[in-house]
Amino acid sequence: MSSTYAASFQAGTEVRLAPRPMTRERMRWYVDIQETVQVDDGRIHAQPPTIHDDDAYAKKQGLPGIISDGMVTTNWIHGLLIDMFGPAAAGTGRLRTKYIRPIYEDQIVITAAKVVSVLDNERKETVYTLEVWCEDDQGHKLTVGDAQVHQRHA
Amino acid sequence: MAVGRYTTDLEKGDVLGPIEYSMSKFVVREYCHANELHQACYQGVDPAFAPPTLVHLDKLKLYKLACPAGTGPTARIHYQYDATLHAPIPVGVKLRVTGKVAERFEKRGRTHVVMEIDMRTAADNRPLVTYRDTIIVSYQPAGQGSAA
Repeated sequence: MSSTYAASFQAGTEVRLAPRPMTRERMRWYVDIQETVQVDDGRIHAQPPTIHDDDAYAKKQGLPGIISDGMVTTNWIHGLLIDMFGPAAAGTGRLRTKYIRPIYEDQIVITAAKVVSVLDNERKETVYTLEVWCEDDQGHKLTVGDAQVHQRHA
Repeated sequence: MAVGRYTTDLEKGDVLGPIEYSMSKFVVREYCHANELHQACYQGVDPAFAPPTLVHLDKLKLYKLACPAGTGPTARIHYQYDATLHAPIPVGVKLRVTGKVAERFEKRGRTHVVMEIDMRTAADNRPLVTYRDTIIVSYQPAGQGSAA
């Protein structure tokens, strides 16, 4: 996919989004979207209680309270890649994320990416390899991973 | 084969689906709104492609089809998302999605299940996303019988 984004990044470049608290609402938005996407009738559809939106259910599962769905931070990382590379970040490439610590209600989350390498390939693309992660306001990593974005030459 | 009851029953080799559907503009915009993806490519009048992360919700569609009794007695924890993108996911085009349980293993007292999900265009079988999803199906917090 070609991109209208002219930005190019060098190895070592680090980009961070503004801190966001993982509020109860942010967790619930992801819960509500799951059934909504499946029904796909233009309306919002709720689902039964989950560990992401129901304290009693989360505690029954041995958690101290609700935790965010890992896909929330994966999507925040995807959003950062779209900010950096435009639609190319939704084209050819890879995104891998691992949820190494639970994220609790109101915990501060900072989304970040660091360019590891920049290479041109034979298909006239620049291939960016990145380290991606989310961390708390103490610098503890919560979600870790890597990404590859193929940006077609202009 | 362990399809037909709970997702926690799934075993290596189980095949889920295929399912077919068309990605709608509503799904793209609403999913992106829920995840604060406010970029113009996702929130415009005519989004041309979906965020590749939406492939994760195809897993839930496959679960619903293959495991109608639901999650099972213990919560399901998502551990890893690993998507290889071959091409953008087009809006308004029929897609075919198949899941296969690639692994089921124990690690530190927790049961992990890896499912490979293959998303293609239905008409010409063009690969779009190959997704490896890892979940823990018998989650127990540290100190309650598991060595996290």
